Amino acid sequence: MAAILHIRDLTKQFGGLTAVDAVSFDVPEGGIVGLIGPNGAGKTTIFNLITGVYKPTSGSIEFRDRSIVGLEPFRIADMGITRTFQNIRLFKNLSVFDNVLTACHLSANYSFAEAILRLPRFRTQEKRLMAKAEELLDIMGLLGYKDLIANNLPYGLQRRLEIVRALALNPSLLLLDEPAAGMNPDETEQLMRLIVRIRDDFKLSVLVIEHHMDLIMGVCEHIIVLNFGEKIAEGSAEEVSRHPQVIEAYLGTREEATDA
Amino acid sequence: MDWTYIQGILMLAGINMIAVLGLSLLTGFTGLFSFGHAGFMAIGAYVGAWISASPASTPAGLGLPFVLAIVAGGAAAGLVSYFIGRISLNLKGDYFCIATLGFGEAIRLIFNNVNRFGGARGWPGVPSKSSFLAILIADIVAVVFLANLVKSRHGRNMIAVREEELAAQIAGIDVFRYKMISLIISAVYAGVAGVFFAHYMTFIQPKMFSLTKSTELTIIVIFGGLGSISGSVLGAILLTALPEILRAFEMWRLVFYGAAVILIMVSRPKGLMGGMELTPSGIRKVAAERNALREAKAKLLAEGSGEEED
Amino acid sequence: MVQFLQQLINGLSIGSVYALMAVGYSLVYSIMNFSNFAHGGVIMLGAYFGFFGLTLLKLPFAAAFLLASVGTLFVAIIVERIAYKPLRERRAPFLYFIISAMGASILLENLVIATIGPTFRTYPEVFPKAPLELGPLAVGRLDLIIFIISAVSLTLLILFIDKTKLGKAIQAASYNVKACALMGVNTDKVILTVFGLGGFLAGIAGVFFGMKYTVYPQIGNITTKSFIAAVFGGLGSLPGAVLGSVLLGIIETFVAGYLSSQFRDLIAFVILIAVLILRPTGIMGKVTEDKA
Ligand SMILES: Nc1ncnc2c1ncn2[C@@H]1O[C@H](COP(=O)(O)OP(=O)(O)OP(=O)(O)O)[C@@H](O)[C@H]1O
Ligand SMILES: [Mg+2]
Repeated sequence: MAAILHIRDLTKQFGGLTAVDAVSFDVPEGGIVGLIGPNGAGKTTIFNLITGVYKPTSGSIEFRDRSIVGLEPFRIADMGITRTFQNIRLFKNLSVFDNVLTACHLSANYSFAEAILRLPRFRTQEKRLMAKAEELLDIMGLLGYKDLIANNLPYGLQRRLEIVRALALNPSLLLLDEPAAGMNPDETEQLMRLIVRIRDDFKLSVLVIEHHMDLIMGVCEHIIVLNFGEKIAEGSAEEVSRHPQVIEAYLGTREEATDA
Repeated sequence: MDWTYIQGILMLAGINMIAVLGLSLLTGFTGLFSFGHAGFMAIGAYVGAWISASPASTPAGLGLPFVLAIVAGGAAAGLVSYFIGRISLNLKGDYFCIATLGFGEAIRLIFNNVNRFGGARGWPGVPSKSSFLAILIADIVAVVFLANLVKSRHGRNMIAVREEELAAQIAGIDVFRYKMISLIISAVYAGVAGVFFAHYMTFIQPKMFSLTKSTELTIIVIFGGLGSISGSVLGAILLTALPEILRAFEMWRLVFYGAAVILIMVSRPKGLMGGMELTPSGIRKVAAERNALREAKAKLLAEGSGEEED
Repeated sequence: MVQFLQQLINGLSIGSVYALMAVGYSLVYSIMNFSNFAHGGVIMLGAYFGFFGLTLLKLPFAAAFLLASVGTLFVAIIVERIAYKPLRERRAPFLYFIISAMGASILLENLVIATIGPTFRTYPEVFPKAPLELGPLAVGRLDLIIFIISAVSLTLLILFIDKTKLGKAIQAASYNVKACALMGVNTDKVILTVFGLGGFLAGIAGVFFGMKYTVYPQIGNITTKSFIAAVFGGLGSLPGAVLGSVLLGIIETFVAGYLSSQFRDLIAFVILIAVLILRPTGIMGKVTEDKA
């Protein structure tokens, strides 16, 4: 399988702190890859580097064999990489529908003038966007909450809405930052099935950060383990869980991680 | 209170409304706060007056039609805002405010020193072209354009920038570009308002476009409610009329005004309309949101009590 | 050379008045992260308090001076209680504070116009007009006194912040208000102190400003320049505010002296814009990278 994302020697320093230290890994086309590690290991920082929120100190990131280092986040999103946030960042005063509708904007191209004068292209494309937003909400089981202000959604559904919003961009690589945080085992179970389903239905590749080991072990075909900014292991669930350094990193810092 | 007096107040309100609607896009829909829009009004006023003033009575004038004055005044303000945006839109929150304050005041001080246009003493002899009808038409066009814009993908992108800038970026929105376009449109609105203002007063002076004027515009937007066009319209009418109505108290009216501003901030920060629109679709939307909230609550309650076997 | 030194002295004198005002903006910014535009109104009231202390109450200078600064101390605190405290309790975004501040500034200015009137008033002569001759230099007595008292007040302020327990609490709060509140620092007290200190110095500045120029309700607009000085030095930093003010005072005087007095006011805004473009955090402000 060809790699859709290719990361080599990626490093990010904040002042004296090296948050990500010469990390290399690939995400295969159509794969689901897990990124795990104790708190502060540098996982979210890697997402921020991939999506252009931070500029790497050194190293390369290639998406479909093109370097995306130095591109602005919106361009990277435009190319097909999108993400969710560890601390949910919805458009929280807008309705569920408007959250998704806004993110559908890349599927339309009418101009300002066409919008201000309500010309035909504006109308037909707007109709298409609305239909698309509705369809996505339907597939993801949020249509019933369409008119609810996002902030009033239950926590677990807010996370799901973030995923729907990301899907609205027609991404080919989806980054999920702790999508199961705050969910009960039931909801986590559902989420696992959802992740696999969207990968299949939307033909995506997925890179997921999670502390819930059940989820990681359950859905990831390949797992990368970070500790203090360095990659300490990678491989299948089984390989990784037997790796002595991984056991040490987890037992040393947070035992609850494996059974949480 | 005779009709000419009321008409005069309404015309002033209508002129303010154009500037307020523009600022509403920038502040209410895009989330950027400006304390310099009086500067854009000044540019519109001076450029507009320059285009339309008759060369016979004022040597500085070109004597061209009023419509051209409107176009040129709006365009000049928009152009200046582009350069201002280039250097200030990357600044964070407070600092963008401060930058707009700086630019607004700098524009005023520059006009203070342009002797061709009368400098600080002011420039009399602007033709009286702002008719009631012309202002009314301008207001309607301004409202319709703005309403159409905010209901398009472009408007939604601006709202996304206001709501959550980082998430907007990640959703593929060119945040800088949308901030810029919002700034330019708001400046064009302010510039056009300036043209009407100059041709209403027939005398302009840099002093009229001070920080106080910029503040007044922002206050009206907030008073009307951020993210509401109907709020801006109502706000412009009420807050332009209020000081005029209070004119009987002459000395005290601005004291009341200041006190009212504090009172609004402290007690009803969502403003008059609080993001709602006074249109059939706007009301339907709010109703739907309320309904959805009720349903969601009921659903959660049902699940909760089901588990607890209460 | 003589002219140069003369200008420098004038610049230092006006710069030190700016500094008294600018630290007020900076103190509030350091804790509450907003630009307190009501401060100009407080300074204006200080000028009036001093003026009426001298003329109406016929107080000796020192007493009028104290009246003004204690008076503005209370005004600043009252403004905080009415216009900002409710917003603080609601955790309103910074913009509401700014608008509320603008409202307070409009209110104070027009309250003075409505009660005292819009006329310009000239302070009675407290210090003899004749300058001190220092070799070839003629130094205005008033300028010298302004400079000395300002320098002393600012030194005391910095000592207070550095040495006292309350001052340390202010420093800690400027670093992180939330953490301070968690650690048991009484933030309300810190905020009152900050407004009190700023208000006290605003009174001194108002009196000096009135003595050097005149008193009128719109003095507050001029104080925008001291705000610019605070931005120049780095909003939130006290040494920055002082440095920015002194530099602004000197630059302004030189521009007025060597170029044209017409550009005197414009230069402040040019500096403001240049600072925001080149280094928005000012000379001494700290640069931070945001967390995503
Ligand atoms: N903008 C920043 N400035 C300074 N330090 C930062 C910044 N962002 C992250 N860090 C530091 O980099 C390190 C890695 O942080 P990161 O958020 O990537 O961890 P993480 O693996 O996502 O942890 P968690 O599981 O807690 O989310 C931490 O020590 C963090 O404090
Ligand atoms: Mg993280």
